[in-house]
Amino acid sequence: MVEDKEIDLLNDDDIFARRISVRLTPQNAKFTRSANDLISMEFTNSNGTVEFFERVVPLRAFPITDPDEYIAIRLPETKKKGKGFEIGMINSISDFDEATQKLIDEELSRRYFTPDIKKIYSFKEKFGFYYCDVETSSGKISFVMNNPTSNIRTLEDNRVYISDIDGNCFEITDPNKLDKLSLKKIEIYL
Amino acid sequence: MKLMFEMPAEDELKFSDSVGKDEKRMYCVPYNFEDDKQVNGYICITDKYIYKLLEGELLAKYKLSEMNDFIAESLYGSCGFYAKINGESILICRFISGRNLPRYSVIVTACEMLAKGEGKEALTSNEPERFCPKCGRPFVVHTKICPFCQSKKDVYKKLWAMTKGLRLMMLFPLIAAIISIIFRFIIPYIQRIAIDNYIIPATGIQSGTFKGFILIVVAIITLDIVHRTISVIQGRMAAVSGNRFVRMLRALLFEKIQMLSMSSIQKKSTGDLMGRINQDVAVVQSFITSQMPSYVAMFFSFILALSLLIYLNPLMCLFVFIPLPLAIFCILKFKNIMQRRNIRAWILGQRTNRNLQDVLNGIRVVKAYGNEEDAVEKFVTCTKNQAKQDESNAKTFDTFFPIIGFIIHLGKYFIIMYGNILLFGGRMLVGELSQFNSYANIIYEPLLQITSIPRNISNFLTSLGKVLEILEEEPDVADCAMPINQKIVGNISINHVTFGYDSYNPVLKDISLNIKQGEMIGLVGHSGCGKTTLINLLMRLYDATEGEILVDGINIKDFAQNSLRSQIGVVLQETHLFSGSIRDNIKYSSPHATNAEVINAAREANAHDFIIGLPEGYNTMVGEKGYSLSGGERQRIAIARALIHNPKILILDEATAALDTETEKLIQDAINKVTAGRTTFAIAHRLSTLRNADKLIVLDHGELAEFGTHRELLDRKGIYYKLVMAQKRAELAKQNAV
Repeated sequence: MVEDKEIDLLNDDDIFARRISVRLTPQNAKFTRSANDLISMEFTNSNGTVEFFERVVPLRAFPITDPDEYIAIRLPETKKKGKGFEIGMINSISDFDEATQKLIDEELSRRYFTPDIKKIYSFKEKFGFYYCDVETSSGKISFVMNNPTSNIRTLEDNRVYISDIDGNCFEITDPNKLDKLSLKKIEIYL
Repeated sequence: MKLMFEMPAEDELKFSDSVGKDEKRMYCVPYNFEDDKQVNGYICITDKYIYKLLEGELLAKYKLSEMNDFIAESLYGSCGFYAKINGESILICRFISGRNLPRYSVIVTACEMLAKGEGKEALTSNEPERFCPKCGRPFVVHTKICPFCQSKKDVYKKLWAMTKGLRLMMLFPLIAAIISIIFRFIIPYIQRIAIDNYIIPATGIQSGTFKGFILIVVAIITLDIVHRTISVIQGRMAAVSGNRFVRMLRALLFEKIQMLSMSSIQKKSTGDLMGRINQDVAVVQSFITSQMPSYVAMFFSFILALSLLIYLNPLMCLFVFIPLPLAIFCILKFKNIMQRRNIRAWILGQRTNRNLQDVLNGIRVVKAYGNEEDAVEKFVTCTKNQAKQDESNAKTFDTFFPIIGFIIHLGKYFIIMYGNILLFGGRMLVGELSQFNSYANIIYEPLLQITSIPRNISNFLTSLGKVLEILEEEPDVADCAMPINQKIVGNISINHVTFGYDSYNPVLKDISLNIKQGEMIGLVGHSGCGKTTLINLLMRLYDATEGEILVDGINIKDFAQNSLRSQIGVVLQETHLFSGSIRDNIKYSSPHATNAEVINAAREANAHDFIIGLPEGYNTMVGEKGYSLSGGERQRIAIARALIHNPKILILDEATAALDTETEKLIQDAINKVTAGRTTFAIAHRLSTLRNADKLIVLDHGELAEFGTHRELLDRKGIYYKLVMAQKRAELAKQNAV
């Protein structure tokens, strides 16, 4: 198995050269609002060089249980290279000042758009699909679900997540706070 | 798939105001989110600008020539349409993923082209809609059936057409049912005559009338016997014709599924297909053979009974109907309550099952981490909840069901009460009352079932729709009008082939290669880059979206599929052995092979030794319920299977799992033997296979990155070099560790 062009393999690390994700703090990362309301970042490397990223994408590591902790900052997806690599991770959004928190929160709530259901007007089953009309924090919405047993999930702290057939997600923060009629309609799935 | 939507009047108006005179409207698609609200907005794209319209307002206008880097990104619960304008990233709009993502994927490509100044012709897409264009509701999963818009007439027409050979047989049960109904109505009449004219006045018997009475009794008994005989015959005929129909339907369905192309089968899961063949056909059968005849009979009986009741005594007829509304209301309410409870019980039961299956499947892990107590606690909670629900359901049912029964029969008590008043007043005879009672029973009988009729009909229509959908589907990959059937030599040309399982997501992009007969080509690349897809295209399991594949200069689409595939041998990653003997499995590609040929193939594949060592030799049963073979043994049987029919083109998808050195050597040797002199495509992971290849193809994200011999590619120090070096490091590390 000996090849002619053998190189000192065990020390040839640039084959696997990848960017290493670092912890981002206000000291090494400055977030600014880009020209079109997205997030730009100025990043200072450990060796002092400064990099400017025109657009970065924040992603929650625990979107359901701990939405404000461990937010990954990545380069955006491109058609050629697929998912962008991770520049760093914010341990907790409260590490940063208010303006930055607001900026990142805005982008995150756009990305993780999950209206909160306040009232359920109707929840009817027809031909295997469930047609629902609800009142949410984003107004009145109608959606279609196809498998309530697997698409209505109750989490440990009693929050309920509902996904519809289009991939939209809705949340019920506390099912017990819903009015009786609404609760009746979905309690069999909780 | 629709790419040009009509906008509501106010948006259309605003658009015409804002658009320039020389602009051409190319696409118009909806978007669904703005700030934190769900909205109905539109993105209208001309050949120069992108317009964003919402409720009569022009929210934004972007110049295409200043833009690039369009992309549709999946967010959580929605998707975003991003681009760069003058180098700065921008979010154009957000939309609902399920409905609109395929649309935006085409829009992204279209915008890229328009931004560069190309693409003046509007793009179209053949991606099927998943939502009904008429009512906007989703189709039944994996089908094009909209339950709301489906024309019931069409479905019934098709069903009628399918019963061609069985119509005569289905007529008999109908006739028998009609006769049966007639008898049912005659018998009470005869009984009435018996009671009124013979039994009641029996106290003052006149001898002559006794004969008449005997006649009546004989008549009743005869009628009853005839009635029952007819029922028996009816039952038999219904069973036979119903079952024949189902058998024919099942066979048709299975045959059609076999003939369908890979792409449509892949879209449906095995469970779905099995469900259609087993359950949906069963629903259709049960409806046609038992439910529908009984509904028809019920309906006629009801009408007949009603008319007779009105004829006999209209006032008392009213009494029959008074409690009906209350009864129906109570039954409906009761059914709803019980259904909710049953669903809940079912859900809890499923949870328990899932828990059980999970834990039992992973019992090793449970024990390894010492979590037995935890597992027990979880399971106990599940079963406790389930048991509580079941108990509650049983209590509810047992409390209310008798009450419902009473309400249903309320009418009877009215009849008896009023009837007796009439009786004692001399205005009605006992026999009359008895006849009336019998007819009233006929009306009450179906009461409990009436409420389930609509649901049964809709289930039937849905199941029938699913069955018909497959029967009517045209296979994607079909033989052309005059398929060629000739011996293949083995020269392959791939010209500018592009393909994606979803048309908007190409997995292979513009691949071109030329391979001569007998060459062994190694396919390498990181996982997910398109290797298996290229092989699928060579086997013509899918047709390329663009470009063509030529075998010996002839387009593979012009070959008869059977002819093409019978000359291609395949050794796949996961060896699937059918239930049967080893000999059956080896002969699978060549059913007329002799025993000698089977043994030869096994010898070449280095499988003979271990097969002979098995107690039943080549007759050993393998597969689902048979002897369990090890991975290396299965691979070698697969190689023997590929060898036996001497294919001109061989496709080899190497198993990635590492085996012990001895088995590795045996398999390597077998592979060498099997590839000699054949045009071979091998997805290779082992260095030894790669070194033996005549040429190597390196795929990167679906594009042809590198093409050349082992030596040439190593010298280039590109992707191939990295892959080889990585594997070498792994081997070195393994060796050093040992």
